[in-house]
This record gives sequence, C-alpha cells and structure tokens, in this order.
Amino acid sequence: MIQFQFITAFLLIALGIYAFLAKNNLLKLILALNIIDSGIHLLLISLGYRVELNEIPTAPIYTGYETLKSPMVGPLPQALVLTSIVIGVCVLALAIALTINAYRHYGTLDVRALRRLRG
Amino acid sequence: MKRTLAYLSLLFILGVLLYVANPDYGLKFGPGGKEWLSLRYTDDYYIQHGVQEVGGTNIVTDIVFDYRGYDTLGEATVLFTAIAGAVALLRPWRRDER
Amino acid sequence: MNCRGDDMGVIVRTAARATIPLIGIFGAYIVAHGHLTPGGGFQGGATIAGAGILFLLAFGLEEMKKRYNKSLYSVLEGIGGLTFLGAAMLGIGVAFFYNTLWHNGPFFNGKPGTLLSAGFLPIMNLAVGLKVFIGLVSALTWIALYRRWRE
Repeated sequence: MIQFQFITAFLLIALGIYAFLAKNNLLKLILALNIIDSGIHLLLISLGYRVELNEIPTAPIYTGYETLKSPMVGPLPQALVLTSIVIGVCVLALAIALTINAYRHYGTLDVRALRRLRG
Repeated sequence: MKRTLAYLSLLFILGVLLYVANPDYGLKFGPGGKEWLSLRYTDDYYIQHGVQEVGGTNIVTDIVFDYRGYDTLGEATVLFTAIAGAVALLRPWRRDER
Repeated sequence: MNCRGDDMGVIVRTAARATIPLIGIFGAYIVAHGHLTPGGGFQGGATIAGAGILFLLAFGLEEMKKRYNKSLYSVLEGIGGLTFLGAAMLGIGVAFFYNTLWHNGPFFNGKPGTLLSAGFLPIMNLAVGLKVFIGLVSALTWIALYRRWRE
C-alpha cells in the first residue's frame, strides 16, 4: 500500500522550505509558513488512523448508533492539532500586523531591502 | 553556487523524509488490532473511559477541555496575547494624530 | 466609480443579507452542541467570525465602524477568558480542572448524550467560542482600519 498521506505531507513541508529559500517577498514567506503548518497537521492527523480487519473506523464520537465493536480513530492527535491550528491563526495575525508596519516604514516588502537598519 | 547547494540539501531532506514514510522502516499508516493497542494505549483509554469520566460523547472535546485542560488554558492565553499585540501594532501612532 | 462607499454593490449586499443569519445560526449550533456532535468552541467561533468578516467585506468599512464598539468588544473578550478560568476553578477542592459539576453537581449532570450534561464542557465551549469570535473579528477589523482613522 502506497502511503499517499505521508508523501503529501512531506511534499507540502518541502514546498514550504523551498519557498523560504527562494522567495524574497515577505507576504510569500508568511504563506510558506502556513504551508509548512498544513503539512505538519496532515502528518499528525494521519498518524492517528487505524485499520481493523474489514471495518472502516469512525470519528471518535459516540452517537448511539454504532455497534459494540466498531473501531474509532485515535482522538489524541486530533485534539492536539486543534490546539495547533489556533496557534497558527494567532501567528498569522501577528505576522500580518508586523508586515503592514514594515511596509509603512520601508515602503517595500523585499527582504533584501529590509536588511538595512533605518531610523 | 550557494543556491544550488541549498536546493540539493532540500532534495536530500525530501529523500530522507520519504524514506521515513516507508512502512517497512519508519512511520506506519493505520496499524490495527494488538499493535494499535500496544502503541496507542492512551487513545484506547480515552475511548473506553471518556464518556464515563467526563460526560461528553464527543471524545475530542473531552480531551481538549478536561484531560488536557492546561494546554487549552495556555492556548487561550496565546490567542489573547497575539490579538492584543496585533491590535496594538495597528493602532494610530502618536505621530499621525496631529 | 463611486469613491464614497467601499461596499461591494447591491448583488453582494443582498446575498450577504440572506446568508449571514444562516451562517450565524449554524455557528451557534456548533458551539452549543460541542460536547455531543463534531465541533466545539474553536470551530463554532471561527464560523461565526466568518459571518462577521462577510459583513465587513460586503457592507464596507463605514457600516462596520458603526457596529464595532471597541470597549464593548474588549469587555466581552475578558468575560470569555474569565468564564473559562472560573469554570476550571469550580472543582478546586479536588484539583484544577476537576469536573465537579458532572460528578456531583446540581445541574449539567444529565444522561450522556443530552444537551444538559457533561459538567463544565458547555460553559467552556460558550466561553471559548465568544473569545475566538471576538479575537478574529477584532483582528480583521483593525487590519482593515489601518491608516484610515482620519476619514
């Protein structure tokens, strides 16, 4: 069985690292940060999956309709990724605010021009 | 030269990660049965005892708010601090107000 | 082109007027049933914040500035955080984050699967949903307001 989930996750992470290395715009660097974040979330969620013999696992929620032996996927990675998503949104908001202030100060978003110190 | 070296290192990282994703050596997608129970007994405990101990039928909410409540408390603190910092950065500056 | 208004025209405004209540009701359902069905405080709060951001995009900044009350929103965010902390403090006799309402409380201790069950989980869901909604709407409004204070 080819594990498409892990391959997609690692491709996303490598794509984000490539954008970090190659791009010079500050907004594109923020997008790269979010792409790496998505790859890590996909990786962690995939680790919680579970294959029983011929049963498809359900979400970890008791609705009263499942049979006694129906398997459930692991709930712990989902809870931790839920925390991580909110942290990602916080980092995004703060980075956007800093980027707006940097553009107002320097007049450009190019990181090569942003290296100079200016009062 | 430097740029080529960076891309080569990136390819190396991708190759190592794809090697890790091979089921024979590294990460496994979806082990079941006894292997799942021995690797992930914490998940199994939450699934077995979550409804009886916390009361919600949504196990993820049980974990987020009760078993791992400290995580959620710190995360709410991070949310508050980040939003406060963003609003403080975007406020009118004193130079602009005249 | 009309320079005064920064809304998106009559078609988008009509569609937004029809869909914003539906999005808000769906988000409130996700928050209120967070301990029974998929969802919870964060997801429902983000959904209601989506309704607020749709209002900001469709009706423009002028209309949003009339509705956005800075001191009221600050107080609401503080209330959300303090409610979360207070619900965690209820079982301080045993431990922090002890679910005393579910084990031996006067209310919120019904059968698992009903709405009034699960101890402090519904209270915490409401508090966190309020907090996330206020935070996201405030951040987006202040980003949209940047350097337009004088107008």
